Amino acid sequence: MGLEFLARVRNTSTWLGGVMALMAATVVTPMLGLAFADGVLWSLVNLQLLERIVVPLTGPARGTPQATRSIASGLVGMLFLFAAGGMLLVLLPPAALVAGFVTPLAVIVVKAGTQILLGSRAWRAIVSHRWRSGFAALALATVTWFALGALTNAGGQPAGKPPGTTVSEQTHGAPPADAHGATRAEPTGEASQDASEHESGPKGFTNIIALVTSAFPHAPWAHFLEHYEVLVFSLLVALLLMFVAHRASRAPQLVPSGLQNGVEMVVEGLSEFIISIIGPKNGPRFVPFLGTLFIYILSMNLFGLIPFMHSPTSSLNVTVALALTVFVYVQYIGFKELGPLGWLDHMLGNPRDLTGWLLAPLMLPIHILGELAKPISLSCRLFGNIFGEDMLLVAFATLGITMLPFKQLPFGIPLHAIFFPLALLGSALQALVFTVLSSIYILLMLPHEHHDEHGQEGDAQHAH
Amino acid sequence: MDMHAALSLGLPLGIGVAAIGSGIGLGLIGQGAMQAIGRQPEATGKIQLAMIIIAALAEALTIYAFVTMFLLQGKI
Repeated sequence: MGLEFLARVRNTSTWLGGVMALMAATVVTPMLGLAFADGVLWSLVNLQLLERIVVPLTGPARGTPQATRSIASGLVGMLFLFAAGGMLLVLLPPAALVAGFVTPLAVIVVKAGTQILLGSRAWRAIVSHRWRSGFAALALATVTWFALGALTNAGGQPAGKPPGTTVSEQTHGAPPADAHGATRAEPTGEASQDASEHESGPKGFTNIIALVTSAFPHAPWAHFLEHYEVLVFSLLVALLLMFVAHRASRAPQLVPSGLQNGVEMVVEGLSEFIISIIGPKNGPRFVPFLGTLFIYILSMNLFGLIPFMHSPTSSLNVTVALALTVFVYVQYIGFKELGPLGWLDHMLGNPRDLTGWLLAPLMLPIHILGELAKPISLSCRLFGNIFGEDMLLVAFATLGITMLPFKQLPFGIPLHAIFFPLALLGSALQALVFTVLSSIYILLMLPHEHHDEHGQEGDAQHAH
Repeated sequence: MDMHAALSLGLPLGIGVAAIGSGIGLGLIGQGAMQAIGRQPEATGKIQLAMIIIAALAEALTIYAFVTMFLLQGKI
């Protein structure tokens, strides 16, 4: 129980408070998360200042000028801290603030309790036998279950409805409270319509633009930002990628290191991959387009996993734009490589004999439909996967918040954390699939080895 | 049965049915790919690439049902 114990308490409470505050801010309301984080921070600073005061008073350096200075600074800090605490109590939701304030103390109690318990003879007696420990765990689980149930019945009912869960809103039957409505991820005008108008799907995590919009609800530029939210985020991703590329290629060295090395690795890998699909003759021409597509889509997919950010690809607008780009590019390649007559010949299914010409009127609509189905399937696949992933995360995060009885307090289990690996995998896979399919569409338009690839195109059309 | 009840019954069911279909398809694709890799481990890269493409095509069908659900969810 020394300073080392305090340091461990500090670490644990920082992590715990950070995760909880992040969850509350992104899933429930930003204000709640902010209040919780402030509470934790306040408590941690308080502990730190206490340490500053208590250690010189009791330590071996008692009475020296240094110790006196430390105590004085600690006392002054305390004064400011209490002033700040009073101000926070007025400004922010007090329940969450107090919850945040109590968190480090709870961590201390639990840590000390476990330390005492782990050293005690009763604990050793329980753990020593298999059946006895199993029984103890079972009893603990039962008690927790009933305690949670009792807490739910006692304290969970009054006004404890987190936004985003339609079930609780239905049972309460009232429109969202003003305190929530003002900080929610939408303008207040829409919040009042919530009860009558049905929401289309669950809400996403709170993102930074929603924060800005709720901070300036009447500014026209905030509405502009909110309206073009996905565009802003995709531009942000593009700027980020441009920045990284600029930094990596600013002063190129023959023997690369650091950032240049990493970026070169990515570019080389993508280049090899695309050339292995399209072929060594035509491949290098398409590496810039397809590689950019891959990196851009992957970054946009992963962007939603950063707190307060939003995946642009979880909106159909962005994915349709990407797919249309690919569509136009593929047709342009076809026109350029085959010529207008060659393109028409391709669309007619390359008729060379009588059967071919007889079937040509049938092949033309099939080919045109197939070409038109490509952008639709590309965009819907990307949108559906990323949107589904995001919704899965949101659903489980909401579940993690609502399954605990303290609905107004930002305590929640980060249940969605188990789906992060899945989201990472899915993001990478969808970016890969988009790129591979785009390169295959380009490959199909290129003049050589046409007949070899035709069966594959037929398969692709069947699946659409 | 009015439209709301029909939709709220049918939408999840539709996704489930679509998921059954593409689940079977994905299983077959995976089985085929694994067998092919087992027979010819040198061609792992090529087989995996083809597998991912075809798996994406099969999976797209469920995604279409999913998108349809989100399009129609506002009408429940």
